[in-house]
Amino acid sequence: MDLTYTAEQDAFRAEARAWLEANVPAEPLPSFDTAEGFARHRQWEAKLSAARWSAVSWPEGYGGRGVDYIGWLIFEEEYFRAGAPGRVNQNGIFLLGPTIMEVGTPEQKARFLPTMASSEIVWAQAWSEPNAGSDMAAIRSTARLDGDAWVLNGQKIWASRAVWSDWCFGMFRSDPDSQRHRGLTFFLLPLDLPGVTVRPIAQLDGDTGFAEIFFDDVRIPLGSNLGEVGKGWNVAMATAGFERGVSLRSPARFSTAADRLIELWRTHADSTDDALRDAVTDAWMLAEGYRLHTYQTVTGMIEGRPIGSEASLNKIFWSEMDVRIHEIALDILGPHAERMDGPLERWVDGFLFSLAGPIYAGTNEIQRNIIADRVLQLPKGV
Amino acid sequence: MRFAFTDDQRAFADGLHDLLVHEYPPARLREAWAAGRGHEPDLWRRLADMGVLSMMVPGPAGGMGGTLVDSVLLFQQLGRAGVPGPVVEHLVAAPRLAGTPWAGGVVDGSVVVTAALDVDPFVAHADVAEVIVTPSGARHGYAVSAVAGLDEGRHLAEVTGGTLEPLPGTDELADTLAVATAAFLVGLGETMIDLAGEYARQREQFGKPIGAFQAVKHLLADALLKVEFAKAPTYRAAWSLSTAQPTAGRDASMAKALAGEAAYRASRAAMQVHGAIGYTWEADLQLFMKKAWALQRAYGDARWHRRRVSAAVLATPR
Repeated sequence: MDLTYTAEQDAFRAEARAWLEANVPAEPLPSFDTAEGFARHRQWEAKLSAARWSAVSWPEGYGGRGVDYIGWLIFEEEYFRAGAPGRVNQNGIFLLGPTIMEVGTPEQKARFLPTMASSEIVWAQAWSEPNAGSDMAAIRSTARLDGDAWVLNGQKIWASRAVWSDWCFGMFRSDPDSQRHRGLTFFLLPLDLPGVTVRPIAQLDGDTGFAEIFFDDVRIPLGSNLGEVGKGWNVAMATAGFERGVSLRSPARFSTAADRLIELWRTHADSTDDALRDAVTDAWMLAEGYRLHTYQTVTGMIEGRPIGSEASLNKIFWSEMDVRIHEIALDILGPHAERMDGPLERWVDGFLFSLAGPIYAGTNEIQRNIIADRVLQLPKGV
Repeated sequence: MRFAFTDDQRAFADGLHDLLVHEYPPARLREAWAAGRGHEPDLWRRLADMGVLSMMVPGPAGGMGGTLVDSVLLFQQLGRAGVPGPVVEHLVAAPRLAGTPWAGGVVDGSVVVTAALDVDPFVAHADVAEVIVTPSGARHGYAVSAVAGLDEGRHLAEVTGGTLEPLPGTDELADTLAVATAAFLVGLGETMIDLAGEYARQREQFGKPIGAFQAVKHLLADALLKVEFAKAPTYRAAWSLSTAQPTAGRDASMAKALAGEAAYRASRAAMQVHGAIGYTWEADLQLFMKKAWALQRAYGDARWHRRRVSAAVLATPR
């Protein structure tokens, strides 16, 4: 065990810090859940990518730097420290990208990874359906072979950033006689094809960050599937594993939030309020605990001990921590927490956003079932 | 940056685990309770032979020369088995007796040493210990007045009189004891969850094992979450102390606060899953719960340790 960084890691950190300090926009960009904000974020991604910072853990051939997961964590720490913009193509770079690297054909890798790293193509996740949320195996959207094409029909919902994204990835039932997890195929397709209709849904914060996608006889070429036909569930689980595991919510996000919370406490709290002091300390310990846990997980991954169902523990931990950090911030703000146009509005916005965490990427109730069944080996429930 | 144990560290801990699974199942712990034994001389000798008791005693003094990082998984395994007696205290105190008349005895186990801090009103295991290491030095020749304790594997006493010999190396006694106890608590938490899982797999109600019900699944999943996320902070604290990091005190306190709370949550979840059986003297669960309840407050409770983290984290702008 050595929890110090190597000279090489320090140098990598210094390089990232210097570039970010010189390039991160001085003013925060508008939310990427708006048309203008989305375009500005795409420009930012292009700039990141040109300097090869958009996907540091990817191989150099695809636009990355080939650093290991520790390097990725270091970059993330610097990224959040610099207050850099949110990652508009995170569903592509952090979720789909690693899956393509694992199961994609050479053609798919060559075609999709570089344009993903540069955000020339921004990806939306077409995952849930109106009747397939927590019960994702209940997918009804269909894919039917018709000559030289697959024909897609059905409806997806809660597709993050689908309103302005270019392509989407999702599962369709390719075998009409199949049940549940079998007979599903994972497809990649552009969102501007005839027959695709994207309808924005306003979120709790009023922005249209997610959307419904309707598919009416949408024709896509053979070979649009990622992984084998009929094996979509396995492909999706690989993606979900990355999402729940370490990639979607890196520790730096919460360490930075905890530091901001401490700053808020210093400037706005009654320092004699012991309950509040303890709560802020707890928030810091949660973020620090998550950071340490992630370094331990990532060391294991580097040494060939891949993360399994324990990934579900991470997902519960970070999503509940995020809500908790924001609740404490609003407690510090007291009656001012009602205000939406002031300098501290960011905490209120952050609180609203945090409430999605325990729901998306598999609700925390589903994660608890996974832990109980696969880690604790309890009997299958209903 | 490498946050993992070495193969040797893991193998040693696995060896201790095997020994304890075979030599010290809960039935043995129950026998010790029934016989009023707060210390197990037979097991003690096995632990001495294996090098566990002298893990942190330097090699030249006859010990294993291990650091707290080398030892932290051992504390966790000792906790998993709920080993009674001053195992945590002895391992932590032994290296601090270098150059004293007890130095040889603490290595071969013939001298039992315990440890105590000023925050604790009682001394644990003073009845079997020849010497007590405190932040002020080594106390011996004292009189012991027993106090009934919650955990019958942890005999408490009020101690009077005796002689205090100053010791050179007691600076980190409190922090080391906090981290060692945190690891022990993590092990207790793991065992309580295991016991509850076993029970939930075999106990049937409404025609199925109760572990099939989500209310039960989620209770145990949440308990596991707390225990799993107490591990990395505990291991980090061990590293911080082993390498004399400036944050060692803060890290030790963070570990003890989190591990104590995690073990408590595990005890509550495990007892609830056991139902009425969990409220009986017969259930093995109580052997582990009571040790957890004692240790979560010994050597600084979560409140005390959290305030210490507060002082480090909130006091000065970073």
